[in-house]
Amino acid sequence: MDKLRQKFIEEASEHIRDIEQSLLTLESNPDNHELIEKIFRSLHTLKGSGAMFGFEKISEFTHELETIYDLIRNNKLILGKEVFDLTLACADHLKILISDEKKDNAEINEEYRNLLEKIHEVYSGESMPGKPSANQKDKKTADTGSDLSTYYIYFKPNADIFDNGTNPLFLIDELTSLGHFMAIPYLQDIPEIETIEPYRCYTHWEVIFATSESSDTLNEIFLFVEDNCVLDIQKLANGNLVDNKKFVKRIEKLKETGKDIGIDALKIISEDLEQSVASKVKKALGDEFRTSFRDYTISSIRVASEKLDHLMNLVSELVTTQARLSLYSENDSSSELTAISENIQKLSRQLRDLAFEIVLVPIDTLITRFQRLVRDLSKELGKEVSFIAKGTETELDKTIIENLTDPLMHIIRNCIDHGIETTEERLKKGKPEQGTILLNAYHSSTNVHIEISDDGKGIDAEKVRKKAVAKGLITEDNYLTEKQIYELLFLPGFSTAEHVTDVSGRGVGMDVVKQKITNIRGEIEIESSKNAGTKLTLKVPLTLSIIDGLLVRVEDIFYLIPLSAVEKIYAINHEDIDGKFNNLIVLGGERIPYFYLRKEFNLEADNNINDQVIVIKYETQKVGLVVDEVIGEYQAVLKPLGRHYKNQEIISAATILGDGTIALVIDVNRAVNHFANIITHMEEKI
Amino acid sequence: MNNEVNTQVKSYLTFKLGDEVFAANVSKVLNILELTKITKVPKAPAYMKGVINLRGSVLPLIDTRIKFGMSETEFTNNTCILVLDIILSGESVRIGALVDAVHEVLEIDDSQILPPPSLGSKYKSEFIDGMVKLGEEFIMLLNVELIFSTDDILNLKEVTGEVKQKFGDAG
Repeated sequence: MDKLRQKFIEEASEHIRDIEQSLLTLESNPDNHELIEKIFRSLHTLKGSGAMFGFEKISEFTHELETIYDLIRNNKLILGKEVFDLTLACADHLKILISDEKKDNAEINEEYRNLLEKIHEVYSGESMPGKPSANQKDKKTADTGSDLSTYYIYFKPNADIFDNGTNPLFLIDELTSLGHFMAIPYLQDIPEIETIEPYRCYTHWEVIFATSESSDTLNEIFLFVEDNCVLDIQKLANGNLVDNKKFVKRIEKLKETGKDIGIDALKIISEDLEQSVASKVKKALGDEFRTSFRDYTISSIRVASEKLDHLMNLVSELVTTQARLSLYSENDSSSELTAISENIQKLSRQLRDLAFEIVLVPIDTLITRFQRLVRDLSKELGKEVSFIAKGTETELDKTIIENLTDPLMHIIRNCIDHGIETTEERLKKGKPEQGTILLNAYHSSTNVHIEISDDGKGIDAEKVRKKAVAKGLITEDNYLTEKQIYELLFLPGFSTAEHVTDVSGRGVGMDVVKQKITNIRGEIEIESSKNAGTKLTLKVPLTLSIIDGLLVRVEDIFYLIPLSAVEKIYAINHEDIDGKFNNLIVLGGERIPYFYLRKEFNLEADNNINDQVIVIKYETQKVGLVVDEVIGEYQAVLKPLGRHYKNQEIISAATILGDGTIALVIDVNRAVNHFANIITHMEEKI
Repeated sequence: MNNEVNTQVKSYLTFKLGDEVFAANVSKVLNILELTKITKVPKAPAYMKGVINLRGSVLPLIDTRIKFGMSETEFTNNTCILVLDIILSGESVRIGALVDAVHEVLEIDDSQILPPPSLGSKYKSEFIDGMVKLGEEFIMLLNVELIFSTDDILNLKEVTGEVKQKFGDAG
């Protein structure tokens, strides 16, 4: 059951997200009927499944909301701003309800009641100007949902029904859990107490029942007792008669006679009522509703993300094993083996590509949250901001998407809070009243670039510099280029907001953003010009699980240096670095600081070999790493080193080579930081 | 005295580090491997021996002797790797532990297990689940979960010495 609940929560969250998304689109395009239908459907599903899994509050809540949207889709209510705001607030509250259904928090309950009240206000004050107010009966049917039908069920169990262990009351209970009902038991057949046989059933029922289920479902309930009873299920009318007061009154009267009412009498009553209730309109709407449901075909399936992780692991293992196989077949003369090996190579490549594609998720999944953020925040700050997203179909590994959410949220928050000016300021500067934040995502070789730009006031480089001086991060006479000044923003504890707001500017921020982006092997760049705006570009790799690297050897251990960091490779004589104290080497006419990996890894220097220097990019400079030998390019499937190496700074992961040997992947930035620290440390000691 | 104790038999794998015999609950041991090629990870603590390739995944390898405050493991024909499944802050983690030799699987009745010696607070007796006397030998039942989830080096030698004194004299 817990599993099912979990599933419900997952699905419900998705529905809520759908609702949010549809709403945000609707806001700019309020006449889109399809979207209203979509919201209605989502609400309806939430209501149904909520009740099924015991989330009663959700069910109740969505039922009320659904009422509003039913009115809207029937053009009886205008989708105005207050409804938008209310629905968004409700969507938020639904999220809380899903996670905290069992918690009895006074605050949540209060909010719940408030929202319910507001909903009531909206749909009871439905007579909007310009629209003829709906008449009493229409409102009633709308209230109870137009997709209900009323059935008549006559159920007379055979007297020996108890013999096979059936309790007819349970059947009635099951039935009534599906909808609104009126059950009339008939007890007159029960004999006098002296003659009663306790093992026989003397009772029969008539049930009038309003439900959205089909008559098949009703029949199913009685499936096992079909042969043991007299059963008659008939559709009485479309719509819900059970909640119709006139209908109920007439039934009550008939009941007094103590005889079976019978389908015929009921039909007459319902037809009587039908004429006064505009049920034909209702029927048409109901049919439309059903056909729109049928449009769904299964074009995608839902898979647990752990399963995908597992798939990726298996594929990685397959690729590794396949590399071993091709290595083996190369050294073997059997041509058949070569053919098989090549075939497997082809297949495993395809499988790998496909598997990588499966775990890719479009950036689109993030956008709703950002739209919401921009909408709420700009309102709160009294600024007018529109958010435009381009290239949202660009796909990224789901782990990267997960890691991007917080940094992007923060950046967008910064744009609204610090970047975009207030309306008056903008008008003074001759800018359009409404500020714009543009998110643009696109592929660039093996990376994805995500740009977030605003047309706000830009970053004041001088102000940043002064602040950095005041904070002691740089000194007054440090000369920094504009780019270097922007880099200061990423230092821990740096925040330019003059007033700390609850939106941004708590001093934790851009440094955390930078850290998070670096963690997924990404980079971040700032461009800004005064009064024209700021642009941040995030460059992130397509996937975290595979890397193109340069395979090198130091003593008997293989290392992999990410190819993206490698600039050039030089061969040098060992004497060139032997006995040098300043750790600088001249390569291609440039003096480049270098690190001799044997020394850094506490191994003995080997004087007999020719070394090779790999020049890598480290921030804005070049740094050389001296290794014993460069083997070549290698596409590696990354494997974590495990928790026991969590303090390991130089090595970020491992990979398994074709022959089963492990190669260690060097985290270039951290490694250089580490080596450089050791040197300054040593200097201090001296 | 043992009549009231609800006895339960558990299986333990015994192994040797130097001359001492230790045992680990078999439920924690996934596999026993022969020595294989070890890739050393630079700049790691001494007891982190490196990583090995365990059927396509990377397994961190711990030199149990160094972890227990003994000298570094010398590789012999008997040297083995125990693949252990331990829970590290809520997550199941696999590690390899080097041992000098693996002996046998013992069925030990709960009632045979003596409580871990309380040796004063300076010894970490919580790493020992209990003791078993087998013939003349004392076997220490290790709590591998705790031992391999800490970064500390345990001076187990002092513990064993102390234990011998206490129990050896009594027995």
